[in-house]
Amino acid sequence: MVNELTKGIFKENPIFIIMLGLCPTLAVSTQVVNALGMGAGVIFVLLGSNIFISLLKDFIPEKVRIPAYIVIIASFVTVVDLVMQAFAPSVSKNLGVFVKLIVVNCIILGRAEAFASKRSLSESLLDAVGMGIGFTLGLLLISLIREVFGSGTITLFPFGGFDGVIRIPGLATQPARVLALSSGALLIMGYLKAFFNWMELRREEARRWPAVPLAAPAKSETASSSARSAS
Amino acid sequence: MRTILITGVKLFAICAVAALALGAVNTVTEPRIAQYKIEQLRQALAELTPGATTGEPMEVPVNPTVVTRYPVLEDGKEVGSVLDLVGTGYGGDLRILARYAESGEILAARLMEDEETPGLGKKAETPEYMKMYVGTGTAGDPVPVRKDMLPAREADAVTGATITFLGVSKALAEGSRFVRQGRQ
Repeated sequence: MVNELTKGIFKENPIFIIMLGLCPTLAVSTQVVNALGMGAGVIFVLLGSNIFISLLKDFIPEKVRIPAYIVIIASFVTVVDLVMQAFAPSVSKNLGVFVKLIVVNCIILGRAEAFASKRSLSESLLDAVGMGIGFTLGLLLISLIREVFGSGTITLFPFGGFDGVIRIPGLATQPARVLALSSGALLIMGYLKAFFNWMELRREEARRWPAVPLAAPAKSETASSSARSAS
Repeated sequence: MRTILITGVKLFAICAVAALALGAVNTVTEPRIAQYKIEQLRQALAELTPGATTGEPMEVPVNPTVVTRYPVLEDGKEVGSVLDLVGTGYGGDLRILARYAESGEILAARLMEDEETPGLGKKAETPEYMKMYVGTGTAGDPVPVRKDMLPAREADAVTGATITFLGVSKALAEGSRFVRQGRQ
């Protein structure tokens, strides 16, 4: 059961391993605050759609399952969009069209088709949480690198007297602007994917060729050698 | 036949429940969203016209870019206009509110609504971005509608979001022409 939760975070991370939902990932990862808003939206929609699709799996006819999934997903996305516009208008403004585009985010439809439509409610719920957190963490990592090096800032939510922007001395005045552009998103994504592939390869090798500890010398041999040194 | 009918009824039921649920959510959120938009407009008008007031909005029927005109009043006398403009951006329509002097000069501008890319076109929402248009719009100093009309630093700021820049520029230039040519 725990595996259903953790697999989305590490082993089957939607961004770096399954490589789903890359369009919004590349588009909104310009600022950390966008990653948080988008991540929260995707977690909510994933949870809602996985729960409902799992509950209705015996009711939804096989032939029209995809249109039915799209209706359910689009409804949850519209709820997120309306709620964000009403209660978090600045985040809604920042994310713009990408909230609406969660409807066609492959992670949501992918999990509905491959998982929620075949599994129990509890498993689907854990899968949604794990995949949602995995997506959010991946998005956060890319946006943190892009914003820090591409703009020299870390943008969070403003509160009190804090305007929400942490300016990094040195980088804020001379950022590597290419990282904030679309090409920078592809570059960062490529390097991170290569890094995770390398990590996976190392793990594979370690599993195949486990490190053999140096064999301790046999007791009799030790005894004879100490006798030899004494003489 | 029976299978098709059952399939249709089930799909209809799912759509009907979804529509009902969305209607309920809309009932809760709609007044808040409308209130937020009114607040935003009121705040923007106040920021664009410090020390002055704006009169009743006047619809502009024939111009596809200029939607509404708000006369700017100082001591009851009209001294300029605030125009509600619509431009075309990268992700959809751009809604711009700009204050003009009678000469067509842009005194202040603000991007109210857009669907631009976060981190790129979205930069047009910042007050710093709109500063590059302030003071332009007269016959001798036209609104920059090409990147080569901008100083190097400002041209740098619009890099990566040229379509947004063109959308904002063309709408502001049309507003300027509208004011200069007797609001036509």
